[in-house]
Amino acid sequence: MTNETLHCTGLCKTYGKQQVLHDIELTLEPGRIYGLIGRNGAGKTTLLSILSGQNPETSGQVQLGQQKVWENQAVLDHICFQREIQTSASAGVSQLKAKEYLRMASIYYPHWDDAYAKRLVQEFGLDIKKRISKLSKGQISMVSIIAALASGADYTFLDEPVAGLDVLAREKFYNLLLELYTETQRTFVISTHIIEEAAGVFEQVIMIDKGKLLLKEDTEQLVSSGMLVSGSAEEVDAVCEGLVVRHVRKVGRSKTAAVFAPQGDSVQAHAEGHDVDLAPMTLQKVFVALCGEE
Amino acid sequence: MNLNLNQERSIYLQIGEAIENDILRGILQEEERVPSTNELAKLYSINPATAAKGVNLLVDAGILYKKRGIGMFVSQGAKQQIQAKRRDEFYQSYVVRLAAEAKSLSITKQELIEMIEKAL
Repeated sequence: MTNETLHCTGLCKTYGKQQVLHDIELTLEPGRIYGLIGRNGAGKTTLLSILSGQNPETSGQVQLGQQKVWENQAVLDHICFQREIQTSASAGVSQLKAKEYLRMASIYYPHWDDAYAKRLVQEFGLDIKKRISKLSKGQISMVSIIAALASGADYTFLDEPVAGLDVLAREKFYNLLLELYTETQRTFVISTHIIEEAAGVFEQVIMIDKGKLLLKEDTEQLVSSGMLVSGSAEEVDAVCEGLVVRHVRKVGRSKTAAVFAPQGDSVQAHAEGHDVDLAPMTLQKVFVALCGEE
Repeated sequence: MNLNLNQERSIYLQIGEAIENDILRGILQEEERVPSTNELAKLYSINPATAAKGVNLLVDAGILYKKRGIGMFVSQGAKQQIQAKRRDEFYQSYVVRLAAEAKSLSITKQELIEMIEKAL
């Protein structure tokens, strides 16, 4: 078990002329569950692939503690990145049986827990004798989840693990994740677009937008720092002074704004004495306010 | 325990309240062990750190206390303490708002008192 942080500084990535990651500075601490959220094409998968040494950075540094990640087997043994399994005919793995795919993972990950993997197969009721190409989208996600959770890697990244899973399977996944996390204190980074039901599982949220790191914050703190303020335009404007204002909507004389208070301050304090309604935000609303088009 | 968390309020506050509610209703009794952080995390599908934050809120308030290596327990007098706290909140969150709403509807003081008496 490593107690080192996995961190990157000045991380940039360009594909041809297109820059997909801009100067990312990020530290992942051991023993946490992070949620990685961002719009389609924001650079989530690229970021995870570079942090796990599966994709070289254009510039910048990626390290576990003091050691570089790229082509460093001692470090890579502690990192697992499970992408969505590609099922296009050209991708070789889709012709494998699920069983063979998991066997491959067991060889690849030195801390693999085979008994646990078998338990997960049972829990999900997965027929591992089938070829991956014959499985449904949700079942393919399960194969990916099983490989990630059983990998035993201190830093485990799951890219869209719940895509295609039905609501019961998603609930099962989050429960299994929490159980495993409680027992092992491994670090998990989970990217997802189904934000609301995962919000309680994430201790911290990492948000990226257009290849830039927007924020990395305690989930509860982030959500409670934001408020929807509505009322007459003058009153709302008065409350908003000195606060970060996003996503303003006006209807006639009334106005609604998504407002964020800097640390140590609160929207409630600014609203004191003003005739406005305050409504709390959810993580999903925070995401829309911060990443939505202005 | 009420398993229905809403997304619009801090989860750790709701965890604290759920435990308090169980103490008020006698589901959890004084000197009884409360569910551990990990049990709560599993029950509600939330991060254990969040569950711990909710529990610690009650420990800081003296409603729960920690027995090292065994778990969290309900303190003596916890029920009374919660009732006293909730009474203060009752005034702020119900009575003050009731009066404000009555005012905006032009309900007189006398009418409001009559309504309350009728409801009792």
